[in-house]
Amino acid sequence: MLAWPVPRGLACLTSLRRAPRASLVLWQASAVAAVLAALLAAPAAVLTLVEATSGAGARSSLTLGDVGLWPAPIAAIVTGVVAARLLFAGDRVGRRLRAARRRHRDLVDLLAVDGGDDTTGDHRLRVLEHSTPTAYCVPGMARRVVVTRGTLDSLTAVELRAVLAHERTHLTARHDLVLEFFTVMHEAVPRFVRSAQALREVTLLIEVLADRAAVRSVGVIATARAIVAMVGAPRPEGALGMSATLLASGTGLDSGSGLDSGSGLGSRADAKLRIDLLEGGRVFGLPNAVASGLMYTTSGLLVAAPVALLFAALLAASS
Amino acid sequence: MPKSRNILGDLERAVIEHLWAVKHTGAGVTVREVHDAVGIDRGLAYTTLMTVLDRMTKKGLVSRQRDGRAWRYTATSSREALTAETMHQTLGELAGDERSGALLHFLGSSTPEEVDELRSALAELEHRQQSAEAGSRRFSRADRSA
Repeated sequence: MLAWPVPRGLACLTSLRRAPRASLVLWQASAVAAVLAALLAAPAAVLTLVEATSGAGARSSLTLGDVGLWPAPIAAIVTGVVAARLLFAGDRVGRRLRAARRRHRDLVDLLAVDGGDDTTGDHRLRVLEHSTPTAYCVPGMARRVVVTRGTLDSLTAVELRAVLAHERTHLTARHDLVLEFFTVMHEAVPRFVRSAQALREVTLLIEVLADRAAVRSVGVIATARAIVAMVGAPRPEGALGMSATLLASGTGLDSGSGLDSGSGLGSRADAKLRIDLLEGGRVFGLPNAVASGLMYTTSGLLVAAPVALLFAALLAASS
Repeated sequence: MPKSRNILGDLERAVIEHLWAVKHTGAGVTVREVHDAVGIDRGLAYTTLMTVLDRMTKKGLVSRQRDGRAWRYTATSSREALTAETMHQTLGELAGDERSGALLHFLGSSTPEEVDELRSALAELEHRQQSAEAGSRRFSRADRSA
């Protein structure tokens, strides 16, 4: 239940985006709860089995044919399959991400010039000599904040500070790990229950969180201007064409090629959404803090529920 | 560990910049020449440069051709081409529907058509901020007079 209808439902509650941190916790909680429920199914079933055999005692010799015993092997299979899929997906996603990052970081180190800002070390700004405006960070152990010359040319100093505050928040808050977790979850579930919505929603929430950090450091207006400036920055001829050919060729990055046409729409709406979400506000008419509190509580309950059920089974078995 | 990695990265960079600088000679350079140009100043051994060039060959950054008993090295692509390739990776990330998440971008790919809409959202926000500011100023003035 947590794997399928909940993500879809949660993605529809767009009002929750006003409290990005709490909703992100809620998302993570529902995912963790789903995993826990699946992983604890086998132990819980074993416990009920123990209970059943001790309860039934010597009265009858129980066989698998008995209706009451069927849940145990099924639960064991569910747990085994889920655990295997998670491990497999985790390994694959982790390898893929780290390889892509290493490759990209090597290129950046080879090519980028120093951005000459006051920070040092990991957060030093690297500038790629290219006129297409873009800004991003390479997360991981050796992280990099990268902008292109085109970005520097089209942003004012304060707008650039907003962009950098945004990227550095991604790095210090390890948003990449949150994203990686959901990517693993996404790839671990069978294709027919996957919802791209969940991943997209989590990505948006992470962006909103980083935007809010930028708002705290340079103000809401400057952050909004930075977003508008990045969208409206002049693009050299062919730069968009390049991403169009990438779309067509599939790029080797995993992409549901059938959904590609929708992706432009999704991200195009993102900039507008993010400007609207720069400020906090009421969530379903509740003050932000109250709504956040409710979401944290729900998150706690969600994670606690499967564990509590296991304990209940344990108690029942031991009594 | 990160430190040694950085030193290697810096060295690779120095080497490829040297290769780009001498590109006009056409024939490529030997390890000896690279060592003379970037190794001696750094107090590095000839063999270190040999290892670095070997690594870079494996990564596809440089290519080499036999010239008698020595290898002659050339950069596989120009600085501009390599920058374009880097950008290709960067923007390619954005092109996929499910972003692979290897890089975290400031903005998803977007087209200039929406800029007008964004500008009006920005103007609205600025207006709201200004009136909020004016409101709070009025409030604090009232506070003081009270």
